[in-house]
Amino acid sequence: MATALETVREYTGGEYKYGFVTDIEADIAPKGLSEDVIRLISAKKQDPDWLTEMRLAAYKRWQTMTEPTWQKVDYEPIDYQAISYYAAPKIKERPKSLDEIDPEIRRTYEKLGIPIKEQEILAGVAVDYVFDSVSVATTFRKKLHELGIIFCSISEAIQDHPELVRKYLGSVVPAGDNFFAALNAAVFTDGSFVYIPKGVRCPMELSTYFRINEKGTGQFERTLIIADEGSYVSYLEGCTAPQRDENQLHAAVVELIALDDAEIKYSTVQNWYPGDSEGKGGIYNFVTKRGACRGKNSKISWTQVETGSAITWKYPSCILQGDNSVGEFYSVAVTNNRQQADTGTKMIHIGKNTRSRIVAKGISAGTSDSTYRGLVKVLKSAEGARNYTQCDSMLIGDKCGAHTVPYIEVRNRSAKCEHEATTSKISDDQLFYCRQRGISEEDAVALIVNGFCREVMDELPMEFAVEARKLLAISLEHSVG
Amino acid sequence: MSALRNRTAEPVPGFAEALERLRGEAAGSSGRALEQRNAAFERFQALGVPTPRVENWKYTNAASFANRPFALAPRGTVDPDLVIPHFAGGHKARRLILVNGRTVPQFSHLGGLPAGMTVRPLAQVLAETPELVDRTSVNDEPEHSFEALNRALVEDGAWISLEDGVALDEPLQVISILTEAESAFMAHPRHVIRLGRNAKLRLILTTVALGQAESLLNQVETVEIADGADLTIDRTLEQGQGRSAITRSRFVLGSRSRLQQTTASIGGSLIRHEMEARLRGTHSEAILNGLMMPQGTEHVDTLIRMHHEMPDCQSDQFYKTVADDRGRAVFAGKIFVHKDAQRTNSYQKNDSLLLSDDAEIDAKPELEIYADDVKCSHGATCGDLDPASLFYLRSRGMDEALARSMLTFAFTGEVLERIADESVDHIVRRMILSRLPGGERLAELG
Amino acid sequence: MLEIKDLQATIEGQDKQILNGLSLTVRPGEVHAIMGPNGSGKSTLAYVLSGRDGYEVTGGSATLDGEDLLELEPEERAAAGLFLAMQYPVEIPGVSNMYFLRQAMNSIRKARGEEEISAGAFMKLVKERAALLGVGGELLKRDVNRGFSGGEKKRNEILQMAMLQPRICILDETDSGLDIDALRTVADGVNAMRSPDRGFLIITHYQRLLDYIVPDHVHVLAKGRIQTSGDRSLALELEEKGYGGVLGAEFAEVAA
Ligand SMILES: Nc1ncnc2c1ncn2[C@@H]1O[C@H](COP(=O)(O)OP(=O)(O)OP(=O)(O)O)[C@@H](O)[C@H]1O
Ligand SMILES: [Mg+2]
Repeated sequence: MATALETVREYTGGEYKYGFVTDIEADIAPKGLSEDVIRLISAKKQDPDWLTEMRLAAYKRWQTMTEPTWQKVDYEPIDYQAISYYAAPKIKERPKSLDEIDPEIRRTYEKLGIPIKEQEILAGVAVDYVFDSVSVATTFRKKLHELGIIFCSISEAIQDHPELVRKYLGSVVPAGDNFFAALNAAVFTDGSFVYIPKGVRCPMELSTYFRINEKGTGQFERTLIIADEGSYVSYLEGCTAPQRDENQLHAAVVELIALDDAEIKYSTVQNWYPGDSEGKGGIYNFVTKRGACRGKNSKISWTQVETGSAITWKYPSCILQGDNSVGEFYSVAVTNNRQQADTGTKMIHIGKNTRSRIVAKGISAGTSDSTYRGLVKVLKSAEGARNYTQCDSMLIGDKCGAHTVPYIEVRNRSAKCEHEATTSKISDDQLFYCRQRGISEEDAVALIVNGFCREVMDELPMEFAVEARKLLAISLEHSVG
Repeated sequence: MSALRNRTAEPVPGFAEALERLRGEAAGSSGRALEQRNAAFERFQALGVPTPRVENWKYTNAASFANRPFALAPRGTVDPDLVIPHFAGGHKARRLILVNGRTVPQFSHLGGLPAGMTVRPLAQVLAETPELVDRTSVNDEPEHSFEALNRALVEDGAWISLEDGVALDEPLQVISILTEAESAFMAHPRHVIRLGRNAKLRLILTTVALGQAESLLNQVETVEIADGADLTIDRTLEQGQGRSAITRSRFVLGSRSRLQQTTASIGGSLIRHEMEARLRGTHSEAILNGLMMPQGTEHVDTLIRMHHEMPDCQSDQFYKTVADDRGRAVFAGKIFVHKDAQRTNSYQKNDSLLLSDDAEIDAKPELEIYADDVKCSHGATCGDLDPASLFYLRSRGMDEALARSMLTFAFTGEVLERIADESVDHIVRRMILSRLPGGERLAELG
Repeated sequence: MLEIKDLQATIEGQDKQILNGLSLTVRPGEVHAIMGPNGSGKSTLAYVLSGRDGYEVTGGSATLDGEDLLELEPEERAAAGLFLAMQYPVEIPGVSNMYFLRQAMNSIRKARGEEEISAGAFMKLVKERAALLGVGGELLKRDVNRGFSGGEKKRNEILQMAMLQPRICILDETDSGLDIDALRTVADGVNAMRSPDRGFLIITHYQRLLDYIVPDHVHVLAKGRIQTSGDRSLALELEEKGYGGVLGAEFAEVAA
């Protein structure tokens, strides 16, 4: 009998269940990037002048920057002039009610399992639907409005709440932060905006579902979440894209701001198209996510389950400014076939008694590569800071790679940091034990991997944990022979 | 290349002047050797002196320590009475002494070596058999600035060679002395160490700076440990303000061979020790232990690249760090498990004590793994002394300073205990105690 | 129903024969005890029968109800009704004991073309059986075998056996590490499962277990084959005289 993991079978392309294309007429900007294109986007979005200026300044900055090269991923150079920076389904006006939404778009989301409805399946979850470059619907707005919660697309927020947007946009991730953040600042078209007023606990999960549909386009959304003093919100984002031979660029920016005693829980289930077994196609996911715990006792918690994308480059981070603030990062990254993921976090301890916790689980199968890259930095001011980091990698098959690159920088003697990392393969003994109890090899792998990721999965909101668990199993299908 | 160049600094003219001087002397240099020097120097200039923008030098600004007007080391001598306290390995130990990077045969004691073992000045070996120049370097085009510089400016070093099956029962100590001097100087010694099959050697590498001077020691070591051979190294580095030492050790291990090294990096403006170990045979084992203890404005930096190239090997990295005052300690250890290195067991641990608010610790414990049937782990911790233990000692009547010193000393114990040679162990304990407040009162613990 | 004929096996990649022509027949309803010195091949037999990787069968056969066991994948053997309570049960971090059991039960049911057990029925069953075996509710919620004491692990194995209702049960030193009360509970659990259509193969070092679970046959395994067989009294004789005394001097202090 062959060793359980001896043969790593090839994944067959058709397994990605969200790979279909919606046939809808779109309004697409000409390919390429120039001041004119940015002005065009700005005009389409009816930007106020300050925003147009901000975009142009970011564009100038971007032109002087170079793509980062330190990450452990290889890809063909991206031709930024071959991308169209704006694509929107042709709808005359944003529908006034959910009933007016284009049936094609409605069907798309139904097929994806997240119908645009305020009922049943996603009861208790308000969703902002972003289709290519624009937000097409947001549910439960009325109900949230009654509590003073603002949940809308960022385009609407720019029109309706300019003072809030202007105050916070770019305050956590400035345009010059990195190459992709600068690009995003110049061309972002939509995304979600959340404001939770003082003392309000948002009674439902807020969620954005991103869908890339058009080909030859990129997606550059921008999300801004502000939790005012003493408030709480749990936010979830999901994403898929059609199966295409070309690589599509997704360069998003997410900024979170937590004021005194506020808490933001941000969860991601990332399932962009990963490309086929030969590595053809798939999304290039270059994302900057950062949260600022500005207030005392504030907390920002990132949870991510990364199974998709040909390339993942993201480091959801926390700047722990407020005294006693808490940052958390829980991550599962699964790579199979030729996927490459370079992901991790940064925890910057500035305030006193700030605490951070990092739990990262990487699973590599096929001929993929997965890297955890993280920084824990304790500044001189961070009296009593604490960090705990646990990074575990699991390899399935002998053609993949798993890497761990942590940076630990400590400048305060009262700080305490602990870092642990392990790498191992899926254990033959565990596999045999499961199989002896009648569980098939593939199910056993899924079971063991899910167990390995349990600490992270437990952090996901209930509604999505089940989905995430299935996704994990699907991404590893055929990873053992 | 150009991408690298804008992350490095232009070397100061002093280096070119030094090369010029060596060319002038040309003594013992064959045409081939000169060619090598020139090529290496060109390489050095092309690479430049690394700044923190080079990833491997992120926490250590080599340019600020090393890119300064150093002249080639004066041909110093030294009062033997000052050297004797550094003798280790017992009265039967053999000794090779270098002063400012050049061997001093009259101080050395190398009598009665077993047949098949040679310990000689590298300069002599190269003068007699220039073709060995090529044997002293492992790769032809060093990607490493200081290695290139060493190759360009090397004058001497230790040549230690054991043929198959040869074992030296007593330790061999190589003492490298840096003297006092009026003006800043540099030395670029190279040690070539080769253990044939099943050979066995206990090596003590002692580097000491005597008195005041500004100096740069840029040492390169190439160490070959053939199948079944066993090498133990106890290494100490002790120098004062104004002294910088950059050491690069390259180990290549054959099947069923073993390397165990324990290093105590105690002082100096800069100590940078880079180690690259390549496990090239199956069932070999490499153990690298170390203690770093910067104080004042000292800066100690350890970089390890552990390459598992073959199956069934083991490795262990165990480093402890104690940073006080404005001292800074850097540990960057990396485990590389190459594609076919199945059944690798590899561990790495770095525990740090931060004793002052102005001290700093940077750790980068990395794993890069391409084989699935492996067990690899690393751990890093950082913090102050445990308050509960501190309280315990104080409740037993010890004053805080003494209690702190005692716990700090205890913290270093786990590494010290791995030092193979007892006399080195004593010397290191003494050095540590001399750096701890109230250390003399703890002497009986040493 | 379990027929082992002249079974020979080596560790994969090694020449040394661990099983040397072992033959044994277990008929429905029978309890067979296997005793033997350390390293004689008892666990190896259990693993070869259940299909663990790392062994190579070099000769002979093993069938369950006429079906060739050796051809099947481990999970197929489990579905066919073979259960192995392991000498060293494996820990599976992050997977709750309860979830694991349910997954196992449903996998076997599915393989047999039966319907999945409903969550309610499963809970009822597991609670019932767990109580009988002295497995606390807290243990059910914990990760599979993780942090369990030696005795807890063994009880957990028997709980799994009670849930999966196999046809042939192989118990590899289930009694080692059990305290006196636990030994009783486990033995009661096994006795409760004795039935005319189920067979048992009980590997043990101590005849004490056989006071509680009375075997129909006792075999002595040494050097990879059954050296001698008998009834209960053989276990008592072994206890008294040791392997050397029963098998002859060459078997004293044998390490297979
Ligand atoms: N994976 C392996 N590699 C090498 N030898 C093995 C392996 N597994 C078993 N053996 C050897 O095979 C022989 C039989 O082992 P086995 O575990 O079957 O003995 P046992 O009868 O169950 O002993 P015990 O009473 O101690 O449990 C022993 O000599 C053992 O060392
Ligand atoms: Mg056994």
